[in-house]
Amino acid sequence: MPRVAILKFPGTNCDEDVHHVLRNVIGIESSIVWYKDFVLKDWDAIIIPGGFSYGDWLRAGAIAARTNAVEELGNARSSGVPVLGICNGFQILVEAGLLPGALLLNESSKFVCRWVRTRVENPKGPWLSLVSDGQTLDMPIAHAEGRYYIDNESYSVLVKTSPIIRYLPGFNLNGSLYDIAGIATEDGMILGLMPHPERASEDFLAPRGFKTGGRIIFESIAHSLKRGW
Amino acid sequence: MPLTNEEIDEIRKILGREPTVEELAMFEAQWSEHCSYKSSRILLKLLPTDGKHVLVGPGKDAPAVKIFRDYAIVFKIESHNHPSAVDPYDGAATGVGGIVRDILSLGAKPIALLDMLYMGDPRDPHANWLIRGIVKGISDYGNRIGIPTVAGDTWFDSSFNTQPLVNVACVGVANIDDLVLGAPKPGDLIIIAGNATGRDGILGSSFASKPLSEDRDKDIGAVQVGDPLTEKLLIDALQFLVSKKLVRYIKDLGGGGLTTAISETAADHGLGAVVHLEKLHTREKLSPLELLVSESQERMLIVVDPSNSRTVEEILKRFDLQYSIIGYFTDDGIIRVYFNGNKVAEVPAKELARPRPIRRASTPPQDALKGLKPIFVLPPEPKYEEAILKLLASPNIASKRWIYQQYDHEVGIRTVVKPGYGDAAVLRLLDGSRRGVAVKGDANPRYTSLDPFNGAANSVGECFRNLVAVGSKPIAIVDELNAGNPEKPEQFWYFEMMLKGVAWMAEELRLPVVGGKVSFYNEDHMGRQVKPTTTIVGVGRVDDISKAMTVEFKEHGSAIAIIGVTYPELGGSEYLYRLFGIEEGEIPRPRPVSEIRNARLIQKAIRLGLVNAVHDIGVGGLIASLAEMAIMGRLGFSIDVANIYARGVQRIDELLFSETQARYVVEVRGDRVDEFTKLARSMNVRFSIIGRVVDSNRIVITSNSKTVVEIDLDRVADVYNNSLEVELEGEA
Repeated sequence: MPRVAILKFPGTNCDEDVHHVLRNVIGIESSIVWYKDFVLKDWDAIIIPGGFSYGDWLRAGAIAARTNAVEELGNARSSGVPVLGICNGFQILVEAGLLPGALLLNESSKFVCRWVRTRVENPKGPWLSLVSDGQTLDMPIAHAEGRYYIDNESYSVLVKTSPIIRYLPGFNLNGSLYDIAGIATEDGMILGLMPHPERASEDFLAPRGFKTGGRIIFESIAHSLKRGW
Repeated sequence: MPLTNEEIDEIRKILGREPTVEELAMFEAQWSEHCSYKSSRILLKLLPTDGKHVLVGPGKDAPAVKIFRDYAIVFKIESHNHPSAVDPYDGAATGVGGIVRDILSLGAKPIALLDMLYMGDPRDPHANWLIRGIVKGISDYGNRIGIPTVAGDTWFDSSFNTQPLVNVACVGVANIDDLVLGAPKPGDLIIIAGNATGRDGILGSSFASKPLSEDRDKDIGAVQVGDPLTEKLLIDALQFLVSKKLVRYIKDLGGGGLTTAISETAADHGLGAVVHLEKLHTREKLSPLELLVSESQERMLIVVDPSNSRTVEEILKRFDLQYSIIGYFTDDGIIRVYFNGNKVAEVPAKELARPRPIRRASTPPQDALKGLKPIFVLPPEPKYEEAILKLLASPNIASKRWIYQQYDHEVGIRTVVKPGYGDAAVLRLLDGSRRGVAVKGDANPRYTSLDPFNGAANSVGECFRNLVAVGSKPIAIVDELNAGNPEKPEQFWYFEMMLKGVAWMAEELRLPVVGGKVSFYNEDHMGRQVKPTTTIVGVGRVDDISKAMTVEFKEHGSAIAIIGVTYPELGGSEYLYRLFGIEEGEIPRPRPVSEIRNARLIQKAIRLGLVNAVHDIGVGGLIASLAEMAIMGRLGFSIDVANIYARGVQRIDELLFSETQARYVVEVRGDRVDEFTKLARSMNVRFSIIGRVVDSNRIVITSNSKTVVEIDLDRVADVYNNSLEVELEGEA
């Protein structure tokens, strides 16, 4: 049975939510791992959930990105372990240089919690293996620092090679460049996104007019870990 | 409030000698109104606090009620009015922190926050600054600790321009067997865990027990500063310690700081304590007096059996939490405080913890007559289109999404009915079942200022209806009484009447008032009391979250019904105020008998699946409820007001805008109308079917088939959705 680590830092607050979805909705084994106890080789996949690691001191994700645990994640690339960063987890991956770009303060300069509609382009890799190109995924966002920024040159590479999740028109609430909600490495092994898939994995939680767009990401990893991708 | 001369004499008598400066500070903190309830304690006994669901009533850090056979809800309300007036960001943020720690003290898991905010006119520059700071403070703190802010209440009124009311509530769940209800024993260790103690919030509870000084900068040192990261670590660590059954007792260090935490714990259990102040971890060098009364946030007192202390220490270290073991409890009832080996205080715990109650004089003021005056002559009937749009633009009615979108209301993945969608929030227990809990907070400052007794009763009624409307069974309430200066009889009268109103209505609705808080001295800098306000927070039991009810219309062709009788009750209404500037008259009467009868029908109709949507009728009257149902559902409607079951009503504005209590609007499923009608008749409930939901994007109101008004739904939605933002941020 494959095992997924949910990496927890001081201030992480979506760890139990992700744990619940993996265990009770998807049915794969997972554990919440305190950052001090994290050892890469014990795990088949790693999720860094949302929250406010180290209280967002300095910049969101900046301090967690410099812990031993995240430095070890740098090795995950070579060892072929899939990594998913949700919200603050995305911020950490960007701060650690594992994904390109930066996440800046929302254009409104306010925290925003709302359901949005996104579309996936060029899906590949273990986290998007069941997602079809152009598929729309509904999920809620909840962040103050989610405005994605990337220089033109890097973007022109990214758009040709990597999976991209974009907010559909009317749903780019933070002012992200190119409407980017999430990006992955070229092989899709490392995926980061601002919306919360774990909050969009059960019918009870989707408000009227929205679907549970997050579940397919967890279904994908379960599928990929069993059958490859 | 510094100690009075009589109180100092009393302290001399208790001690049999001159008190030390440290002892005086301890008495000042503990005998403050905020900590001791000395002015309110006699009257608070009027509240009904018993019931078959009550596990822990008032008196502990937080009450607990049995919501299911195996589950308890721990919930409590708190005010942070004074700090928020001086430093809105930190004042509001630390209010959140404090209420969460109260919930932790019983070993429960906090799952929801509510904010009841009564603030000034958004267009007043100072009030605007306060509003933004308060909301941002709650947002930054609440979001960081991973507890969703799911519901609340908001009111804007110029009387709150310089002194807002910031009431926060937290709801926690626990397995009944896991509640920490033990008592400390002599020899048990006193561990203080969390933030290092600093020079903030020195005698803060004493500061909250007097009017603000004219020079606000003088008060700034009494405001605490929050650290949500430490709070989050405390939440995680305490939950772990409780799950391992390693702690005997937990208490928050809140108002009164270390002094209150130790004296109340000791006094409640007939114990004494030995405390060595120099052992406390600190941010800076502090005097013993400062150590005793600092209200630095994010600190908790954990009582541990000495045999567990090593394990507990290891766990605290693992969670990156600072802590210190500062002493132990004794069996002699005396609190002895040492600093570097010198005794600085020696006081009996009981006498310190419980000052003698004070009986305050109470006289109705001249102003109270405003609420007794029936409105004989109404202003001429308005143009209805303009009137409806003006009313929906009122910040007291318009969508509060500018506020709640700044709060993470989804973290924890329990929030089934989210802000804006229902009359109350519904959270699932997340235990694998479909069980859940409904929560809501309510007040109407205009009602309580015009008629404190009936106004407070209506707050209870409103909360009751909101819980019923989402399909829950109301279980218990807590109250926050925000009043003026208890030393002024004409202000104390409002407190007394509000309290009696809550007591009466709670008794009638069979809702135990299991806890609460009193906030006095809510005066502006001129010594005028702000609108006295009774805030009620209630919890309800939801047996099946898949049946939780929301407000939005769902089906073209379904029937719209009003449950309850409409009376011409426009006194104190939003309509009269917003359109004509009239703020007087008899407010709507509380109607407990109808409340209970009508609630039963709603509960039954929801259970049987006869209705698609339910919305209570409150501020703004029938039209405000209908508009919200249409806007959220993106479906129009057409009604004929002549069909409304009413008594004594002579004009259309009375039908549309009356705020008569005990009423609901329901959307009855198109194919179940007969069943619904039969059910309502059999339960002897007054109701009327007034129209239909129409997929037309229009709101059409007729009277005996003659058009009263016809408005585009998009226009109505635009006004409703965006007015608050425009008020706060100006036109885009």
